[in-house]
Amino acid sequence: MIIKILGTGCPKCKQLEENAKKAVELSGVNATIEKVTDLNKIMDYGVMMTPAIVIDEVVKSAGKILNPEEIKKFLI
Amino acid sequence: MSDCCKGGTKLVYACSGGSNVGQIANEVAKNLTTEGFAKMTCGIALGANLSGFIVSAENADKNIVIDGCTVGCLKKVFENHKISNYDYYVITEMGIEKNKNFVIDLEDIYRIKELIKTQGNKI
Repeated sequence: MIIKILGTGCPKCKQLEENAKKAVELSGVNATIEKVTDLNKIMDYGVMMTPAIVIDEVVKSAGKILNPEEIKKFLI
Repeated sequence: MSDCCKGGTKLVYACSGGSNVGQIANEVAKNLTTEGFAKMTCGIALGANLSGFIVSAENADKNIVIDGCTVGCLKKVFENHKISNYDYYVITEMGIEKNKNFVIDLEDIYRIKELIKTQGNKI
């Protein structure tokens, strides 16, 4: 599983990344987390608000900081 | 794209259909974007079920949906996705008759754009 965090690097984007890491730990799934900061690549996903989270190339959330439990639901 | 993490996101969609009114809808959406009132994004991508566009529409503070005529294609796209947080406008219900000659009066674009800005300033 590949988890991508879309965002240009603001504190909220970093918080979402941290929460994604915790969600992976909580769920025990085998996943890698990648950051996408290039604006053109972010826009290719059709995301109009950041931070956003993409799991296996499906955008799950945009413009929100999901907590680890919320992210975990997408992983299991 | 909106600024990172800031609220107050208004997205605007136009049917951009194959008639004068579809193209007026497109021009109005473009003008709302260039004036900074809203951000134009792709209604057809919603129709194509592309996840990023769906999530963005769901999470926007407001969506502005502009159909050219009462066929209401774009409205149906929103209904299909069960997204209800939108203001809805139909160009033919604003005194413009649908035709295929693509002759567009710039004053119509200005008038409709201003109307939407007046009515859509609720957030």
